[in-house]
Amino acid sequence: MAESVLKLSGINKYFGNNHVIHDVELDIKKGDFVTFLGPSGCGKTTLLRMVAGFYEPDEGQILLNGRNIEKVPPYDRNTAMVFQEYALFPTMTVFENVSYGLRVKNTAEAEVQQRVRQALELMQLVGMESRYPNQLSGGQQQRVAVARALVMQPDVLLLDEPLSNLDAKLRETVRVELREIQQKMQLTAIYVTHDQSEALSMSDMIVVMRGGFIHQVGNPQEIYFQPKTAFVADFIGTTNLLEVTLDGNDVRYMDTVIPLPSDVTVDAAAGRYRLSIRPESLRLTKGAAQAGEVSIPAAIKGKMFLGEKVRYFLADGSDKEWIVDAFDPGRNLLDGQVNITFQPDKAWLIQGNDPDEV
Amino acid sequence: MSSSTGHERTGWQRELKLLLREPPLLCSIVTVFLLFGIFILYPFAKILMVPTADDWQRAVTGAEFLSAFGHTMYSSLIATATAIVFGFIYAYAINYTDMPGKRFFQIVALLPTMAPSVVSGLAFIMLFGRRGFVTWNLLGLKTDLYGAFGLWVVQTIAFFPLAYITISGVLKSISPNLELAAQNLGARGWYLFRTVTLKLATPGIASAFLLVAINSLADFGNPMLVGGNYHVLATEAYAQVVGLWDLPMGATLSVFLVIPTILVFFVQRYYLEKHSYVTVTGKPVAGLIRVTVGPFAKWCFFGFCSLLATAILLIIAVICLFAFTEAFGYDYSFTMEHFIEGVMRQSVMTNSWIAALSTAAITTVFGILLAFLTIRKQFPGRVLMDFMAMLPVSLPGTFIGLALIMAFNDGPLTLTGTLWIVILGMTLRQLPVGYRQAVAGLSQIDKSLEQASTNLGANSFKTFTGVILPMLKNSLSVSFVYSFMKSMNTLSTVIFLVSPEWNLASVNIMALSDHGFLATASATAVGMMMTIFITFGVVKLILKDQINIFNL
Repeated sequence: MAESVLKLSGINKYFGNNHVIHDVELDIKKGDFVTFLGPSGCGKTTLLRMVAGFYEPDEGQILLNGRNIEKVPPYDRNTAMVFQEYALFPTMTVFENVSYGLRVKNTAEAEVQQRVRQALELMQLVGMESRYPNQLSGGQQQRVAVARALVMQPDVLLLDEPLSNLDAKLRETVRVELREIQQKMQLTAIYVTHDQSEALSMSDMIVVMRGGFIHQVGNPQEIYFQPKTAFVADFIGTTNLLEVTLDGNDVRYMDTVIPLPSDVTVDAAAGRYRLSIRPESLRLTKGAAQAGEVSIPAAIKGKMFLGEKVRYFLADGSDKEWIVDAFDPGRNLLDGQVNITFQPDKAWLIQGNDPDEV
Repeated sequence: MSSSTGHERTGWQRELKLLLREPPLLCSIVTVFLLFGIFILYPFAKILMVPTADDWQRAVTGAEFLSAFGHTMYSSLIATATAIVFGFIYAYAINYTDMPGKRFFQIVALLPTMAPSVVSGLAFIMLFGRRGFVTWNLLGLKTDLYGAFGLWVVQTIAFFPLAYITISGVLKSISPNLELAAQNLGARGWYLFRTVTLKLATPGIASAFLLVAINSLADFGNPMLVGGNYHVLATEAYAQVVGLWDLPMGATLSVFLVIPTILVFFVQRYYLEKHSYVTVTGKPVAGLIRVTVGPFAKWCFFGFCSLLATAILLIIAVICLFAFTEAFGYDYSFTMEHFIEGVMRQSVMTNSWIAALSTAAITTVFGILLAFLTIRKQFPGRVLMDFMAMLPVSLPGTFIGLALIMAFNDGPLTLTGTLWIVILGMTLRQLPVGYRQAVAGLSQIDKSLEQASTNLGANSFKTFTGVILPMLKNSLSVSFVYSFMKSMNTLSTVIFLVSPEWNLASVNIMALSDHGFLATASATAVGMMMTIFITFGVVKLILKDQINIFNL
């Protein structure tokens, strides 16, 4: 088990009467790439800025390498950040921008030269040292912003949606590069994004947030296959959420009993139960279900041909909308009344209300 | 090289061809150039023609003129430098610290802009003059502080608000993200200020310096009141014209006054604007306050701002006390007599009000028209039109005033002695403000909005009134209010233009102070501030907008 680098406990933050961060507990291990994921206004950037020291938490503790830092001003923490809009100093060249933090610390000239050169090589910026930010493309500016943070060898590298201003192609390339550099340098990094595919593809650990609450902390597979809340299930990928009732050790959806896997512990006091089933786990058939499968009759209301798959939109007996993905569809698409079938172990039980649901 | 010239020729010809296809557009462009020709080019050509070779020679050899030139340069340089330093510290304190009373300091700094700048000179006389309250009544001194020193103090206070407003705008436009980034990399305090904030603000501060310098070079009222024997070009020109009836000499001196201001204008326009860093990177984030100073520095800033605010409030208090007591310093009983004498019995306040309101309306409307042409249309002479609209910003009021009386004293267009020449002078002075505001407002409106409106079937007129105007409302009311205020207060522009029939309040304040009727002068100044406030209130009610002049 790697040692803990950053520990947040009992963090609460208010903006006036707005409670924007609720009881955040988080433990980040050395060398981890952690993503704060959530829609805008979920508190992810606020949390990041608290780590950087731009906000003070109203309650709670932040431990960086065992030191309490919640009252430490931003300039006394080693938490270099890559800003969403890069925030490069327009009055300084690339070299001056990247060396700025080292010069603040009165680093010896030889070391400045050597570390800046290393960072520039790493970010493929060699030859651009004497250019000014307004002479660089968006992608190059973004590299300078990363180099300026990397050169500080931060205890935690903070990245605030650094890719959101790049075009789609470039974003994918930089994503891979960033991950490689982070692994090579064994940096601990916190990455803020609202893009689930960025989060899934880059992270060791994802922190999903909404409304100032942490909904779930887990690795990408856990987040995708075992969502703890309805919001996580819906926000990451696409899902069908069924409101179900308890029926002994099984659950009931309309007239259909859906058996739960034996390893699921049902909390009888939870009060609310929902099943999450991914569209790719569902099949459509005109005939009967296979043995052990659950079958729900529904009518096809619409369909979208996407090449590798067809996405069907259906309505069941209670008018609930279902989304079903059929892969390798061929030329003949389904129509009319069908049965939606699935293996019961593909359904994931979500118990209780989400933390930010009233 | 030759190919690029050829390219431009085709562009020029193509633009002309397009223009000929749109007669209304062509008409308005021709009208604008005609107006510029008659009211800007002709007077300025005329004032350059009037002085003879002899006048020029007298001006450069006469000892009194040389010393006036030296005095002008020296006094305005030190007053500008001090005002800029004070303005910067004040603006920094308001934008970068969490000291208490920021709102109060903001309001106090803007109060002097409601009154003519000569009011600070008036207050100075009342406090430190030959019979000044402090020098005579309290200390029993027989000396006065007239001359270079007094002028320095008075001009510093008079131009501090302008410096503060301009620099505050510069500091506000600096993206807080850059300072956050620097802090994030370990920079703090003085180092952060020096390497980031100051560097980013430098071009803006230089612009502010030039703006204040133009104003103090052209200042007429304060040198007149507290300069004593310390003559500057503006007062010397006035003395030549009004005292000696030597119009050509007055013209010569005012041309000398224009040389440095025009120089400053070119530096500002062609150098500083190209080196400005007001590229906004990143939206300011709510709740993030850029507090970059420690508690000790914070209280130092607080102390400094308190001192300046006290000085300003003292000036206003002194003006009010003199205005409403029988004879302050001797007889402290309350009286309305001065107010009735200075404000009610005279037509000057009404005259000022009519002229300033007309000016505000004209500059605002004409400003939009000009901005619409230069921003949205392509035509030969576009750059020239932009240049001419901005040119008056660099011209001292005395120069504009003299040029106008010389040009319109006789001939087919005789305006001397009328209200029109007063409005014309004020309009020339304020046109750049209205134009600037309209340009700024229009540039922020994306062209696609107009295209969307036309695409939905609206014609150009409907697009302009239905879509563009409502979006410009904010910047238009700012420019209306601002030109009104400046026109009410202007002295140097109108000093040559007023006539017994059409006298103005600001000129009256100056004349009354000069002749020792300090109480009546104060009462007139108070009346002026009240008039401005009441007009603001009414404008605010009519436009139902969110404009708050104190949020500048």
